Amino acid sequence: MTNKADKALLPAGMSDVLAPDAAFEASVLDRLLADFAGHGYDRVEPPLIEFEESLLTGIGAGLAEQTFRLMDPVSQKMMGVRADMTPQIARIASTRLINAPRPLRLSYAGQVLRVRGSHLRPERQFNQAGAELIGADGAAADTEVIVMAADALGRLGVTDLSCDLGLPTLVPDFCRGGPAGEGGDADLQTRLRQALDRKDAAAIAEFSDELGEDTTGPLAAMLAAAGPASGTLKTLGSLGLKGAAQAGMKLLNDVVDRVQAALPDLTLTIDPVENRGFEYHSGVTFTFFAKGVRGELGNGGRYQANGGAGSDSEPATGFTLFMDTVLRAVPAPELRSRVFLPIQTTAEDAAGLRAEGWITVAGLEECGDGEAEAARVGCSHVLDGGKVRKINKSNKE
Amino acid sequence: MLRVNEKLVLALPKGRILNEVMPVLRDVGIEPEAGFEDSDDRRLRFATNLPELDIIRIRSFDVATFVAFGGAHLGVCGNDVLLEFDYPEIYAPVDLGLGRCRLVVAEPEDMIGSDDPATWSSLRVATKYPTLTQAHFAGRGVQAECIKLNGAMELAPQLGLCRRIVDLVSTGNTLKANGLVEIEQIAAITSRLAVNRAAWKTRPDEIGHWITKFRGAVDGDAA
Repeated sequence: MTNKADKALLPAGMSDVLAPDAAFEASVLDRLLADFAGHGYDRVEPPLIEFEESLLTGIGAGLAEQTFRLMDPVSQKMMGVRADMTPQIARIASTRLINAPRPLRLSYAGQVLRVRGSHLRPERQFNQAGAELIGADGAAADTEVIVMAADALGRLGVTDLSCDLGLPTLVPDFCRGGPAGEGGDADLQTRLRQALDRKDAAAIAEFSDELGEDTTGPLAAMLAAAGPASGTLKTLGSLGLKGAAQAGMKLLNDVVDRVQAALPDLTLTIDPVENRGFEYHSGVTFTFFAKGVRGELGNGGRYQANGGAGSDSEPATGFTLFMDTVLRAVPAPELRSRVFLPIQTTAEDAAGLRAEGWITVAGLEECGDGEAEAARVGCSHVLDGGKVRKINKSNKE
Repeated sequence: MLRVNEKLVLALPKGRILNEVMPVLRDVGIEPEAGFEDSDDRRLRFATNLPELDIIRIRSFDVATFVAFGGAHLGVCGNDVLLEFDYPEIYAPVDLGLGRCRLVVAEPEDMIGSDDPATWSSLRVATKYPTLTQAHFAGRGVQAECIKLNGAMELAPQLGLCRRIVDLVSTGNTLKANGLVEIEQIAAITSRLAVNRAAWKTRPDEIGHWITKFRGAVDGDAA
């Protein structure tokens, strides 16, 4: 590896973040976490690596395929690099903070590493920021996290934000007792799930032989009902759902009313059959999108937090924002002006300028033409005779 | 950021399917500008009678990619392409019922009866659909080594690339003309209305409007 190109090549999905993006990302993260802290969510910081057995149990079980593993030479146990921080927060809540009063509000931010990137997110390492509300159930708790996330994104300057609500338990509750229900034909369930995930209306219709029109009819209606919240709720209401499915729908309705009351400008949609990415969720889920921005800004929802097999679980809800997408949706920051200080400048003058909000770039040696040197090192201004002066761009070679 | 794309973009596949799609397009009230159906026109993006909607004309495999990445908000492509890529960002809410065909495994006539599929552990297949083919055979414990071709799959067995192919069949005439016989079907194929997930969520009224229109056009035909 003597060649420059060899040295520059990074593994797939990894990248160097340079100026001004690195500073921008850090400042956006700071603003988000300050926002969460303002709502009483205390920041915690779990380690990058944990033992596999604690990282990949409970809600982390689905992440096994995405987790890089390495062996700890000290304990001789297998360790995993976190692919998602939520399971770590759940672990902290159910172990170290088991005696803390409920509801417990925690926030976090950090890098995660994944084995594979996806088509839309080829990055294998990226920043997550999020918050979890643990030990609280019901529509008020669901609403709190949705509104806090939407509000935080809005405050960052994300425009045309929309929130897509889901209820991954709706289809299983509806199918309960039938062949596609719990304990039924596992293969049939997988195929039905795939068809629903792709929103493939034709494939749903093909299930009518196996499930009967009584089941596929309402499923097709649920699939077609995805869209603006009020319309979806109306359709769901007309399906005559019973039992747990009906209770779930009522809860969804309640959450929609509360979120709309808090944030009347937020576009709210409902996707009653959405399940992808919500495999471990047990109640209302949500995904944030911004108009014209590729991919999800973040997602979250209700789940049962437990610290692994055997421990008690408690209701929790929370969300994770994906910083790569969030940054695409946030307006680019205004660059602060940089002023070049010739070597004669006193430390006092330099400090004064920084206090005024300038970025100062000090000259380290005598240079004849201050203006040319300022242009060369990327400054927009130069300190000349005690006065800050904008440089004349045409002087730049 | 894709802010410039405030207009909705509908991606349509070039070739055979396009002729079948045009009537549906007119049913839903979309009239492309002159030159769209002229295959000599070198432009790729066309305006329509609707100021808020543009059409692009690309290969059917690329329809799925443009829709998945949000470059096009809506598209028409076969579920062969959707299954091959299985992009989580694409929804296929309407079956347009066009371009009906089947994705099948075929082998030379003279092999029929001489080999028992139950004994296979691996096999070589020429196909345009390596992912689908691999998944299909893996489902019964067979490792499929795929040779990716972009057309004329039927030649591969004759010229010794492999003995089996996985390809689309509508009438079966091409297979027959090349001495091949269909041995099993992997999937039934029709064209679907494909929708970008983020576009559906962020512009629910506009996208919902088009889904309803297309669904109406298809149901109208069936009645």
